[in-house]
Amino acid sequence: MSSLQGYVDRERLMETLYVILSPVLYIDRVLVILQDGRVIVGTLAGYDQKSNVVLSDSKERVYSTDEPVEEIPLGLYLVKGDQIVLIGEIDSEKDASTDLSDVRAEPLPAIRY
Amino acid sequence: MLPLSLLNAAQNKPMLVELKNGETFNGHLVNCDNFMNITLREVYQTNPDGDRFWKLKECYIRGSTIKYLRIPDSLLDSVKDEQTRAREAGRSARGSHVSGAGNRGRGGPAHRARGGQTRGGPTRGRGRGRGA
Repeated sequence: MSSLQGYVDRERLMETLYVILSPVLYIDRVLVILQDGRVIVGTLAGYDQKSNVVLSDSKERVYSTDEPVEEIPLGLYLVKGDQIVLIGEIDSEKDASTDLSDVRAEPLPAIRY
Repeated sequence: MLPLSLLNAAQNKPMLVELKNGETFNGHLVNCDNFMNITLREVYQTNPDGDRFWKLKECYIRGSTIKYLRIPDSLLDSVKDEQTRAREAGRSARGSHVSGAGNRGRGGPAHRARGGQTRGGPTRGRGRGRGA
């Protein structure tokens, strides 16, 4: 997918199917990695040509080698495109079945120039 | 939804701005432009370590130095509603306008051209007659 459009607001797509699918409803979200090493998950509400993105219901995931992953609620975020390293779609089923309290990982280092 | 339309709608709303160097600015948005240059009023500034604070009456931040902005959650819904309203208003206004203009502007010349080109010889008389 060479355009971000496919990632936008998967939530809204699902709303129309909500009545039928409500028992198996997952809201597809994206994972964004920033140049300072932050990992943010959220629903992609919008973007523009410079890949500035709007993330709603976003949470930061803080990884550590000796503590469980901490999810910090951030709310509505507007991230500048020049800070973004990666945007990826989250497999919501896998994500939901992953117990973040079992996950230990090195935090990403910030990019250095 | 475009990030900049969200930002424009955030005028007079409180927000947190983090710069690339880690400094943060908490204040109310006064104004912004398409470069994401912004002015804030009643600002609390913190240094990157978050252990020193300054209070500023007003400040200007160059868009290119910004890492991200944190905006009140409620704004997303109000902007979405606003956009749907604008779209519907635009559709109904444009709908009546276009059909009127279409009949006059597009209809006239197209008929004439088609008559002249495709029907060539036999119907030339009719085509020209209508045009004139």
